[in-house]
Amino acid sequence: MKLPYQKRKALYGYGFIALWLVGTVIWFLYPLAESLRYSFMNVKPEKGGMQGSYVGLENYSYIFTVDPKYTQYLVKVLGETAIRTPLIIIFSLFIAVILNQKFKGRGFARAVFFLPVIIATGPVYNIINGDISKTGASSAGQFSTMFQTDLVGELFQFLGIYGLSDKVQSGIEFITNDVFGLVWSSGIQILIFLAALQNIPVSAKEAAQVEGATAWEFFWKITLPYVSPMILACLIFTVIDSFTAPDNLVMGHVLDMRGEWQYGYASAMAWVYFSIILAAVGLITLLMNCFIYYEVD
Amino acid sequence: MAAQTSAPDTKSGGGALSRKELRRRHRETMRREEIISLRRRAALDMLWRIGRSLILFGLCFIILYPLLYMVSCAFRAQEDMHDPTVMWIPRHLTLSILQQTWSAMDYGKTFVRTLFLNIGCSFVQVAVCALTGYGFARFRFRSRDLLFGIVILQILVPTQIISIVQYMEFRYCLGLQPVMERISPALGSAFNLIDSPLTMYLPAMMGNGIRAGLMIYIFRQFFKGMPQELEDAAYLDGCGPFRTFLQVMTPNASASFLTVFLFSVVWYWNDYYVSSTFFTQNSTMALMLKNLNTQLSLVLFNSATVEVSPREQILWMEAGCLLAVFPLLLMYIFLQKHFTEGIEHSGLVG
Repeated sequence: MKLPYQKRKALYGYGFIALWLVGTVIWFLYPLAESLRYSFMNVKPEKGGMQGSYVGLENYSYIFTVDPKYTQYLVKVLGETAIRTPLIIIFSLFIAVILNQKFKGRGFARAVFFLPVIIATGPVYNIINGDISKTGASSAGQFSTMFQTDLVGELFQFLGIYGLSDKVQSGIEFITNDVFGLVWSSGIQILIFLAALQNIPVSAKEAAQVEGATAWEFFWKITLPYVSPMILACLIFTVIDSFTAPDNLVMGHVLDMRGEWQYGYASAMAWVYFSIILAAVGLITLLMNCFIYYEVD
Repeated sequence: MAAQTSAPDTKSGGGALSRKELRRRHRETMRREEIISLRRRAALDMLWRIGRSLILFGLCFIILYPLLYMVSCAFRAQEDMHDPTVMWIPRHLTLSILQQTWSAMDYGKTFVRTLFLNIGCSFVQVAVCALTGYGFARFRFRSRDLLFGIVILQILVPTQIISIVQYMEFRYCLGLQPVMERISPALGSAFNLIDSPLTMYLPAMMGNGIRAGLMIYIFRQFFKGMPQELEDAAYLDGCGPFRTFLQVMTPNASASFLTVFLFSVVWYWNDYYVSSTFFTQNSTMALMLKNLNTQLSLVLFNSATVEVSPREQILWMEAGCLLAVFPLLLMYIFLQKHFTEGIEHSGLVG
């Protein structure tokens, strides 16, 4: 029997994705559905699988009415992500623009700035980021955390600035004290922006030069529109990265509950969290789509 | 703007005069405002250059600081931690800390085990993800967009949500284990996949390993960007789709394959969450490092004669970090070009 070409091609398509499809059903879709089911249950691990009884929305109402930590952590994580994400984007774009210029030692600088890409996802980062109070060595003053000191406060005192409101000052301190985290979590973003910058067509550069655009104008009128699709990609990447990091507070709380065998409750918390991530990513995509410039071929 | 249109044009001058001479002559023809504007521009340029190198130097230092500190700590003797004059350069150079950490981490064995797990998983995962990405990029089939939506979902869903159920799947081998156990206990324990490398291999083999969704997405974007003519030509020559993929598309995509592979190796090397779910022992490098403190107190500081303050423990921790990142660093130094330049060809951009 000979199938028509289109049909055959469609079958080949299924052939190409078959392995992934089987794997996804086993290792992704089924676990996803099961964990959603657990979130409505009071489950205990028994021989052969999870056993338990349905409790309806009890787990969910427990999250928001009884658990004192969850909402608190959630607000904190959301707030930090909301502040850090734009900072990371602006910072990495700035660094990418600099690294795209010609200067001596550029290769070295690039290598150093991409270095976090290979280290920041691992446990080493947690250790060097000073997250060792959990592991017992909390009195480690001279650990690799010299950036946690109150340099800005001292600078303000030195300059004789006292009148700033507490909020402004703590905001500035939050940013400056976080320089370490900022630089260390921008590796991939810098990489993506740099690649996007190098994809700006030469004709656009030449046109701007002929018209006599300054570097400032060039950045706003040429660079920014051309990299805008990548800003969206970086935004989503940053948001997901900060939400799903295992050292994130909410995630830590979920894992703690799991350690206490509260699987149903842990699943409910994870699902609330996941829906918030989805909503955040959806909102960002919607908003950004209004500002993105796509080059039409 | 006037300065720019009449900027010195050294190239078109006659060959007889030197560049300096040309520029001097040109300057004579300019008006005063033009010269001032030029000078201002040069001054601004200089200022920017100085500022830029300051910024870059500072930030590079921030990035390199922990690594430098690791090196400094790993070779330093215990008593240097209490010597206030020692900041960077140790007074007593020693290898003993490094050696002790090496043995506490069982470095040789851990390294080989991690390496096999890493390379193996990355290899199959990249291959399967490339296949899947190609399928999504080039073939039209029913519910393709829906299935690709699942890929996007895989990028978004945190592993923490599904890891419990995955644990149960491996523990009871998809429900096979209780059946096997009824036949014989030995068979039953053989079908308990926890602590077996299969827990990493199986998902990777089916394109569901660590960050597989992202890889499929990258490959799909990449193959979409490749010219269709190649495949049409191959089809006309009687080449089937699988052979076209193997013999026509793969060689063209080798740079992108390498980049994704390298990233995959890095992600597997650094992963401690997924492996801590499926392994009860510290069998990979990342797990070993994550639990280094317990491991150290178990192996090194166990006897009553050893007295180590938390401040001194830093030395062993830093030495452990150094040992754990060293292979990655080495790989990065030699293959840095593929990490950074490959991403342009990987299809993530453009």
